[in-house]
Amino acid sequence: MTPPVMEVRGLHKRYDDFEAVRGIDFEVRPGEVFGLLGPNGAGKTTTVEILEGIRPRTSGEVRVLGYDPGVETLALKRNIGVALQSTNLPEKMKVREALALFASFYPKTVDGGKLLDRLQLSEKADAYYGTLSGGQKQRVAIALALINDPQVVFFDEPTTGLDPQVRLEIHSLITQLREGRRSILLTTHYIEEAERLCDRVAIVDQGKIIAIGTPKEIQAKTATRSRIDLRTETPIPDGAPPEALAADKWEFSGDRRALTVHAAQPARTLVELVKWIDSLGLTLADIHLKRPTLEDVFIELTGKSLRD
Amino acid sequence: MKAYLAYILINIKLTWRDRMVVFFNYLFPLIFFFTYAQLFRAEQGGAINQVYASVLVIGVLGNGFFGGGIRAVVEREQNILRRFKVAPITPMPIVVSSIVVGLFNYLPSALIMFAISYFFYGMKVPGNWLSALVFIVIGTCAFRALGAIIASVANSMAESQIIIQLLYFPMMFLSGATFPVSLFPNWLQIASQFIPATYLFSGIQDILVRRESLLQIWPAVLALLATIALCIFISVKLFRWEKGEKLRPAAKLWIAAVLAPFFLVGVWQAYSRDNLVKAKEVTRQLRRSRSLLIENVRVFDGAKVIESGAVLIRDGRIAQVFEGSKPDAKALRAEPVEGQGKTLLPGLIDAQVLLSRGAGRTDTEGADVARALAAHLFSGVTAVLSADPQPQKVLAESARIARGERLGPDVRLSIQVPKMSTTRTVADIEAAIDAGASAIVGGANMERIPDAVVAKIVEKKIAYIPMLSVREAQSADRALLDRSLLQQVLPPIALNSIRAALPTSSAPSEAMLAIANDNLRRIYGAGGVVVAGSGAGNMLVFHGPAIQRELQLWVRAGIPAQAALSSATIEAAKLLRITYAGRIGAGAEASLLMVNGNPLAEIGALEAISLVIFKGERVDRSSLFDEE
Repeated sequence: MTPPVMEVRGLHKRYDDFEAVRGIDFEVRPGEVFGLLGPNGAGKTTTVEILEGIRPRTSGEVRVLGYDPGVETLALKRNIGVALQSTNLPEKMKVREALALFASFYPKTVDGGKLLDRLQLSEKADAYYGTLSGGQKQRVAIALALINDPQVVFFDEPTTGLDPQVRLEIHSLITQLREGRRSILLTTHYIEEAERLCDRVAIVDQGKIIAIGTPKEIQAKTATRSRIDLRTETPIPDGAPPEALAADKWEFSGDRRALTVHAAQPARTLVELVKWIDSLGLTLADIHLKRPTLEDVFIELTGKSLRD
Repeated sequence: MKAYLAYILINIKLTWRDRMVVFFNYLFPLIFFFTYAQLFRAEQGGAINQVYASVLVIGVLGNGFFGGGIRAVVEREQNILRRFKVAPITPMPIVVSSIVVGLFNYLPSALIMFAISYFFYGMKVPGNWLSALVFIVIGTCAFRALGAIIASVANSMAESQIIIQLLYFPMMFLSGATFPVSLFPNWLQIASQFIPATYLFSGIQDILVRRESLLQIWPAVLALLATIALCIFISVKLFRWEKGEKLRPAAKLWIAAVLAPFFLVGVWQAYSRDNLVKAKEVTRQLRRSRSLLIENVRVFDGAKVIESGAVLIRDGRIAQVFEGSKPDAKALRAEPVEGQGKTLLPGLIDAQVLLSRGAGRTDTEGADVARALAAHLFSGVTAVLSADPQPQKVLAESARIARGERLGPDVRLSIQVPKMSTTRTVADIEAAIDAGASAIVGGANMERIPDAVVAKIVEKKIAYIPMLSVREAQSADRALLDRSLLQQVLPPIALNSIRAALPTSSAPSEAMLAIANDNLRRIYGAGGVVVAGSGAGNMLVFHGPAIQRELQLWVRAGIPAQAALSSATIEAAKLLRITYAGRIGAGAEASLLMVNGNPLAEIGALEAISLVIFKGERVDRSSLFDEE
């Protein structure tokens, strides 16, 4: 197995009277999109900034592309790309100029024109940064992160504050990058973003990782059950549901035309339910299965919602 | 290196896209420039140097503090610097580029203003133009670097604004750029020596006005260079990429470290006062460089009279004398001075004074040489011959006058004029003639000089300086103290104590002078060289208007007024070998006296002084005695 591009062991970060990161361990493998998911203030940004070499750590082992960010900072910065949360460029700087300026900082760069093409910014190449929309600005930030053809790209909250349409655009961009065999570290507090984009996710809360794995693994590990919603054309006659549902919690609606079941083994329960309705001679109007989301997992693990 | 260049280029572009930058670097200084030029009437002579230096300093301060100080804070507050933080660069290119960009933005402005000064105000291209250019570059960089420090220590826009105001206004007002330092009270003059901008301003003035080179103003150059180095070092050290990073309050003390070079220079200057003396001299030089046109005036040029003429003064010299035709002051770019009903003469020369004697008392203790000299200039005497036997004090004062630090007449020492013999008797005169004397000082005022001796004096062109005033004063007549001009130069206390010491009745002076007058008349009548010297410093011959009294006695003795005036101007200048003085003609030094009325008809008019001009400067007579 190829060595990981990032390794974090026992990372701590203490500010004067506050410990933002309290022992974080994870690694990111080549070509992987790794997500740090958690609410604001969980310590995601601090962690990422330590990895980017712009914040010193209090203790712990960190390696990014084999560099220690606290020591070989410049060498590290030459080889990574970073799209920071809430940064800006001077209003009167043109997009093309921004790319040229940042290109001058790196020994090895990609063609700025092609990069703009890829990010659909060619038309805006001569526009002032100040005249761009939020999504365009974010694409410029991504372009700047890619100017040195980095092996590792950091995205800190790449879609925060953007409208849903733009968010989708950014998502497809990140998906494209992933096809280029780059490793990506992404922080977000959007569940969908983590579920959709990440190969693996670490859920971070109060400076600690409380769950780590593929989104499916995390969902599977939880005690949260899948939910089945069922509706019939005519009311279901009085009486208990079949024995197959004995292990599950269930509940009828007032008019007995709908039934909700919380199932431990949703696939089997679903089959049993369909058979049961059929045996009662009723017509099934609708049935669907809802698996637990990372949101549910998060609520289960922390007792609070991701979005406060 | 690539990063430095790219950063500098993009920032030059960015600043040019910013209207505020263009306004502050170009329009703002130009507004100042024209206002100042108008205010100081820069078209009338050397004031343009001062205007240029002032506006340059104000521009450099603005560029440094507002341009350099605020920009970096704005970029930090807007999360722009944060983006650069993740790029592989250090703060160095950012700090250095701010300084270089400031220079590139401002230098064209400085050159444009120079061009305007050159083409429209007649400013000369300094011979040491390279020094001027290099100094402006160093100064601009130094203040831009100071701006960078402000950006480094300020935690917010509001804070940086406060720091900037705290530095900008004192620097602008105390540096001399807005008001001449020599007008400040003493303590403020010393305080000004601790301010970096003072050295910027005085440095530029020294180069433009005093024609000095960078090497001659090395303390200023060194302090500014040290500022650049220190500021870059400290700015990089304290550099903050994000608004979240706050600076410890103690770190603000780094500003003090930056000011350290100027503290050292300030302490040195407070002790040596070199710079303050220089500032005075520069102010003097600027006052002397004004162009004046004295119009509609009767001119006595040292020998002959022009009944109505005009005299143009430029750069401390007489540029042209107009007779009859009426020149236009505006076309000549000169300040007009109305001379209707007045007479313009060369500054008077007193060929015999004893500056370290006080005239009122016999002791020489505490004699005030400076005051005696001030009294002479006050009275329109622009050169004196000092016969002081111990001239140390006189030499010291005359050196200060020569530098322009202080105002007073030119001083010649009797040892500089070979073979002047002081005489009292005919026997003395005969001995002096035999010894080959060039001048006989004192003559023989109680003894008739035989015709044969007179003939010899005339034949050998020996200057005869009778000092009738000294003879007259021997009468101890109280009336001697009653002259208006004398009362203006002598403090009332001194005057009263002298008056009290004099006897109530005394011998009339007329009779005492009979012999002296006759001697003078006969030498003049025979075509001899006669020179006026008052002997001021002798008992009751007071420094100041003594030469006026001497000439009055000459006229009373029967010498024509015009000849008497020549003896105190062109003839005295010849004896003292001051070739550039004693006459009104193109190329002569503009040391002049203008009086109300016509002294050629009534010699008493010589005391009715309207204006004294010394080397081109209109002397502010009322403040002559206030100096120091």
